Amino acid sequence: MSKAYGIIAAFDDTREIFQACEQVRDAGYTQWDALTPFPIHGLDRAMGLRRSKVPRLSLIGGIAGFCTGMALIWWTGAADFRLIVGGKPYFSPMFAFPISYELSILFTAFATILGMFFLNRLPMHYHPVLKQPQFARATSDRFFIVIEATDPKFDAARTRALLVQAGGKDIVEIEG
Amino acid sequence: MSAPVPPPPAPRSDQALYVGLAGIATTGFGLMFSPLKMVAFAWLVGVMFWTAITIGMLLLVLIHHIFDASWSTIIRRQYEHWLSAFKWLALLFLPLLVLSWMPRHSGLVWSWMDPATPLPGGHGTVGTDVLYVKKSAFLNLNLFTIATIAFFAVWVFLSCKLRKHSFAQDADGDAVWTLKNRWWAAAGIPLAALSLTFASILWVKSLEYHWFSTMYGVWFFSNCVRGALSMGVLMMLWLYHRGDYAGLLNRNHLHSIGQLVFAFTVFWGYVSFSQYFLIWNANIPEETFWYNLREQGDWYWVGMLILFGHFFVPFLYLLSYKHKVVHAWIRPIVIWVLALIFVDICYNILPAIKDARGDPLPFLSLTLLWSLTAVIGVGGICVWAYLRSFPTTKLIPIRDPRIAECLVYHESSHE
Repeated sequence: MSKAYGIIAAFDDTREIFQACEQVRDAGYTQWDALTPFPIHGLDRAMGLRRSKVPRLSLIGGIAGFCTGMALIWWTGAADFRLIVGGKPYFSPMFAFPISYELSILFTAFATILGMFFLNRLPMHYHPVLKQPQFARATSDRFFIVIEATDPKFDAARTRALLVQAGGKDIVEIEG
Repeated sequence: MSAPVPPPPAPRSDQALYVGLAGIATTGFGLMFSPLKMVAFAWLVGVMFWTAITIGMLLLVLIHHIFDASWSTIIRRQYEHWLSAFKWLALLFLPLLVLSWMPRHSGLVWSWMDPATPLPGGHGTVGTDVLYVKKSAFLNLNLFTIATIAFFAVWVFLSCKLRKHSFAQDADGDAVWTLKNRWWAAAGIPLAALSLTFASILWVKSLEYHWFSTMYGVWFFSNCVRGALSMGVLMMLWLYHRGDYAGLLNRNHLHSIGQLVFAFTVFWGYVSFSQYFLIWNANIPEETFWYNLREQGDWYWVGMLILFGHFFVPFLYLLSYKHKVVHAWIRPIVIWVLALIFVDICYNILPAIKDARGDPLPFLSLTLLWSLTAVIGVGGICVWAYLRSFPTTKLIPIRDPRIAECLVYHESSHE
């Protein structure tokens, strides 16, 4: 017998889930999610989500790429194997700039993609919400809100009452 | 539902006209303190600054139509109003053209116009300069005059078409006006690209006709678009705080235009660095002299100001989402960018004024003062043209096929 994961409720259209999300947000829950077949503009705000932290990882990636480029050109041309090419100095930020710029972009892209996967905890091959009997319809025509048992405000009876009040249907408790 | 708030009264345009005329008069007053040559160069700075911004707006309207864009519908009408300034810019360019045809003053601004202009260091005259002779099929007064008239004709013509079709749609709501503008965008983008490239080569780059740079038109283009986007942000904020854009402008519109301000900052950096880097790497005297001149005296610090102020500062600043959408954050940076476009244009024009030894005259000088008054003068006339056109139509193209989509761009915001 495993622990309860949370409570899941179904909704029939975008308007219903939009308003339900605002109610769950205003009730002060933090550990919950909305599951929809397609992106709904403005749902992030209705859920009270903050902006993604991915851009910070992108910035770190970019700075790392720039420094790698500069260090690479300096190390190969001015430290490890000093060689005069085209009458230019051993090292100059001028000719190190193109490679630094390219590596900034490359490392930013890596940090963005990998950071997105890391923060999303993807790939994830199993998730407790899959136990909801109708969950396949979340990829087609139904909308779900799941509130996790780990949420500090979670209380099986009161959370269920909130979802009922918000218009949720087919409310079930699911195990982890 | 609250009762609809009546729109604020149309802004007055006459004050802008007075500011413009005062700026022009002050620049003319400069002739009492500085030689005609300095004032003429300053006037070129003023005209180039606003012509660049107005070309940028023309390009943004053309690009809007070719992509069938939706979010930019909200700002397009303001650009269309500003495009009415092209005919006045043509008029304000006229003194420079007239000066070029006056036998006593020909060669004053563009030294190659007068074959008798001596080269610095006693190396003969322009007429005996092989680099001029080889380029004279392009750099001659007849072609310069015809091309200048043709450039303004193209810009005025495209602006008239885009404005007429857009304004006509307000009356009948016919989608055919959108299709007509899309057709003119397809035809107009190559025309605008070629005209702005050759205009920058003839009017600015040829001030030092020895020089070679294949990046020059692209450099000018990047400043045109940066200026137009910055003015676009200022117009958006102005109309929002006046109350016109209340309920229309949302956070996502500002985010989108802010992203473009950021993107063109990177583009400007890319182009300017490419021009410098290729010349630095090839190290050929016919090319390097242009930058060597700009390391003399205080021009070195102007170059550093442009490098850090026109690229690094806006680049780092605009990385943040907040700095693109919060009015108090986005406003100072676009004003800063406009100021740096002015410095960049000075950097490209003013060092062509040289002393007897062939060194450029300093940046901090009376010429800079007259350049500023010229910018105020020409700018006042442009703002006047914009404000004069403003009350003649609806605030936004209310019957544009994309306007509904534009107004709910992503989500409506209450901020």
